[in-house]
Amino acid sequence: MDLVSFARGPALEVALAVFCLGVVWRIVGFALLRIRRNFNEPRNSLVKAIIGGVIATGSRSWPHSEFTVRTGAGEALGYGYHIGLFIVILAFAPHIAFFGSLFGVTWPALPNSVITIFSVLTFTLLLAVLFRRVTHRVLRMLSNFDDYFSWFITTLVIVTGLMATAHIGGPYQTILGLHILSFDALLVWFPFGKLMHAFYIFPSRAINGTLLSRKGAAS
Amino acid sequence: MSRLGEIPIRIVSRTPAASTGTIGAGVTAILIEIATQLDRLADGGEPGAIDLRSLPMSPGDREQLLKALGPGEVTITLKGDGESTINETGIQGVWWSEYRDRGGELIAGFIEIAQVPAILPVEPDQLRRGAQQLRAGAAGAAQQPGN
Amino acid sequence: MAHYHDQPTIGEMLERHGVSRRTFIKYCTAMASALALPPLAGRAMAEQLRAALRPSVIYLSFQECTGCLESLIRSFSPSIENLIFDVISLDYDDTLMAAAGAQAEMARDKAMKDNYGKYVLVIDGSVPTGANGAYCALGGKSAVDILREAAKGAAAIVCVGTCSSFGGVPFADPNPTQAWPVSDIVSDKPIVNVSGCPPIPEVITGTLLQFISTGKVPDLDEYRRPKVFFGNTIHDRCYRRPFYDQGKFAKSFDDEGARNGWCLFELGCKGPTTYNACATTKWNGGTSFPIESGHPCLGCSEPNFWDKGSFYSALSAPRWGKAGEVSPGDVLKVVGGAAAVGAALGVASAGLSRLRQRHIEKSTTNNEAKES
Ligand code: SF4
Repeated sequence: MDLVSFARGPALEVALAVFCLGVVWRIVGFALLRIRRNFNEPRNSLVKAIIGGVIATGSRSWPHSEFTVRTGAGEALGYGYHIGLFIVILAFAPHIAFFGSLFGVTWPALPNSVITIFSVLTFTLLLAVLFRRVTHRVLRMLSNFDDYFSWFITTLVIVTGLMATAHIGGPYQTILGLHILSFDALLVWFPFGKLMHAFYIFPSRAINGTLLSRKGAAS
Repeated sequence: MSRLGEIPIRIVSRTPAASTGTIGAGVTAILIEIATQLDRLADGGEPGAIDLRSLPMSPGDREQLLKALGPGEVTITLKGDGESTINETGIQGVWWSEYRDRGGELIAGFIEIAQVPAILPVEPDQLRRGAQQLRAGAAGAAQQPGN
Repeated sequence: MAHYHDQPTIGEMLERHGVSRRTFIKYCTAMASALALPPLAGRAMAEQLRAALRPSVIYLSFQECTGCLESLIRSFSPSIENLIFDVISLDYDDTLMAAAGAQAEMARDKAMKDNYGKYVLVIDGSVPTGANGAYCALGGKSAVDILREAAKGAAAIVCVGTCSSFGGVPFADPNPTQAWPVSDIVSDKPIVNVSGCPPIPEVITGTLLQFISTGKVPDLDEYRRPKVFFGNTIHDRCYRRPFYDQGKFAKSFDDEGARNGWCLFELGCKGPTTYNACATTKWNGGTSFPIESGHPCLGCSEPNFWDKGSFYSALSAPRWGKAGEVSPGDVLKVVGGAAAVGAALGVASAGLSRLRQRHIEKSTTNNEAKES
C-alpha cells in the first residue's frame, strides 16, 4: 500500500474514530459534571441569567473596549488565521470532494488561486501568532507543550497542503500522502489537546456568563 | 458514425479568427524566436529548429505564421518512404519542413533555421560508398566484352 | 563503434534495405517530435543509431493480455516494420514470429547463445510463481525459469507494460497466481520499466531506440521508468488544467461541465498522481488521450492502480473497507461506534469526578463542622 492509500485509508479510518471517540468523551464528560451549588440568593432570574450568558458569549468574542489597544492586534491575528483556515478547509475543491464522499453533500468551490492566496496568508498569520507567543512574556509563561504542538500540527497540515499544490518538496503523491497523514494526526490530537477549544469555546462562555449573571455580574 | 468529423461537438471557445488581420501574441513570439535564431546563425552559431508540434497553434495561427514568413524561392521534395517537403520561406535561411510517411500522413513538422536543411548534406562515408559503387560499376562494364 | 562478428552497422543494414540515411533521419525526427524532444535530437539519434550495431532483441510474453504488443505494433514513428527490420533484430517474439513450437524455442535459445551478454530482453506480463510457476508455462518450462535463464545473458531488461513493471492486474489483491513484477525476480541486471496499461507505443520504441543509440540505460525515476517520458504527471501537462485551477469541475459525464470540457478531478481523474507522457505524446499518432476524450485518467502507469478503489472516486476521497469505497453509511458506522464508546467513557469520567467532588465536599464540610 502506498502512502496516499494508507493515509486516506486505514489511517484516516482510525483517526476519524479516535477523533469522534475523544470529542464525545470530553463533551459528555464535561456536560455531566456537577455544577457547584450556589447557596446565595440569585440576583437575577434564570431567564435573565441565560440571556446574560448569550450576551457574554458574544461580548467575550470581541476585545473589551478598555483593552482594545493592548489585545486588539492579537485578536485580529487570531480572527485572521481562523477565517483563513475555514476558507481553505471548506472552499477548496479537493477538500469539498473529500467531505462530499464522507457526508454525501457538496457545495461550490472557490478558484484555486484564491485558495492559494488565503493559505499563504493563513500560514503567514500562523507564523506571526507563534512569534507573538514566544516574544510576549506573559503569553510565553502561559504556554505549554499543548499550545506549541497544536500550533505545529495545524501549520504542518497547511504547509504540506501548500507544498502539494505547488509541487515542491518531492513527488506529488508523497506530499499528498504527508498532507493527509498530518491531517490524520491532527484529528487524533484534536480532542486531547487545546484544539478541543473548537467545541468548548462557546458553551464555556455561555455557561460562565449564565452563572456570573445569576450572581448579578454585568455581562 | 464512422468518422471523427461526424461526432457532434459543440465549440465552447472559438480561437480568434485569422481573418481579423492582427497577428496573435503566440505567432509574434514564434517570429521573435525565429529572428533570434537567425541572428545566432549569422554570428556563426548552430542552426536551430522549432518543432511545430510543440506549439499549440490553431489553424488560424498557422495561417498567420505562414503569411508573415511569406513564400520563398526554393522547394525541396524528399522521396524516401513518402513525399516530404521542405520549403524555403520568404525569409532566406528559414525553412518550413513537413515530413510525411508512406501514407501521406504528416509525422513531423518544424521550422528550421539553417543555411541548408540539415537533412540534405551527404556524409563523407556516404560519398566514399558512392565512389566505390561507381568504380565497381565501371569495372563491371569494362569486363563485359562488347561494351 | 567497433565491428565484431563482422556484423553490419544499423546504417549499413538500412542502406541494404533501401532505407536511405535521409529517410531514417526523417523517422527519427518524427520520433523525437512525438516524444517532445528537441527536433535536432532526432538527427543526433539517427546518426548514433546508424553507427550502432543491430542489437538482438528477445521479447518474452508471460502472464499478459497482449495489449502491450498490440500497442507496440501501432507505433507510428518509427513504425514497427522500420524498427524490427532496420534497427533491431527481433530474434524471438512468440506472437509476431512466423516460426512456432520447437523451432521457435530453438531460435530463442540460439539467439541467447549467440548474443550472450549483449541482447536486450523485453518482458511483457507478470511472472506467476504460485504452484511452482505452473500458471504460465511455455514449451514445458515455467515463466519464472525462462525469465531467470534469459536474464542471465541479457545486457538489459526492458519491462513493457504495468504487469512486468509492477505486477499489473494479475498482481491485484488477492493475487491468486502469486504473480510478481520482473524486478522482484531478477535483481542483478539493469531493468527499465515502461509502465502503462498498455504503454504508449512511441514510449516503448523510444526507450528501446534510446538504449540502442546510446548503449546506456536512460535516467530512471524511483520506479525505474525513463525520466524523459515519465518525468511529468498527466496533471502537469493537462490541457484541462486551467479549469482545475479555476475550480471548474464536471460532476457527471453528461452535465454542463462535462460538455464544456471542465476538469475531471471529481469524476476520479488520477492525473495528479500519474506519471506518463499521455498528455504530450498522446495516442494513435498524436490524435488524443483519455482526458481529451472526456474520461478521467485511471493512473495505469502507476503501481497498484487497480487496487486503489474506484476509478471514478475523487483522488482526495477517503477510502477504506473491502470495496475501497466510503459511503456516508460507513462513515456513520465508524463515527457512531466511536461516539457510543466516547459517550460511555464520558459518563464514566463524569461519574468519577462527581464522586471525587462529593468526597471532597464531604471532607471539607466535616472539617468546617469540626472547626466550628
Ligand atoms: S482532468 Fe485530471 S489531469 Fe486534467 S487538470 Fe483535471 S485532474 Fe488534472
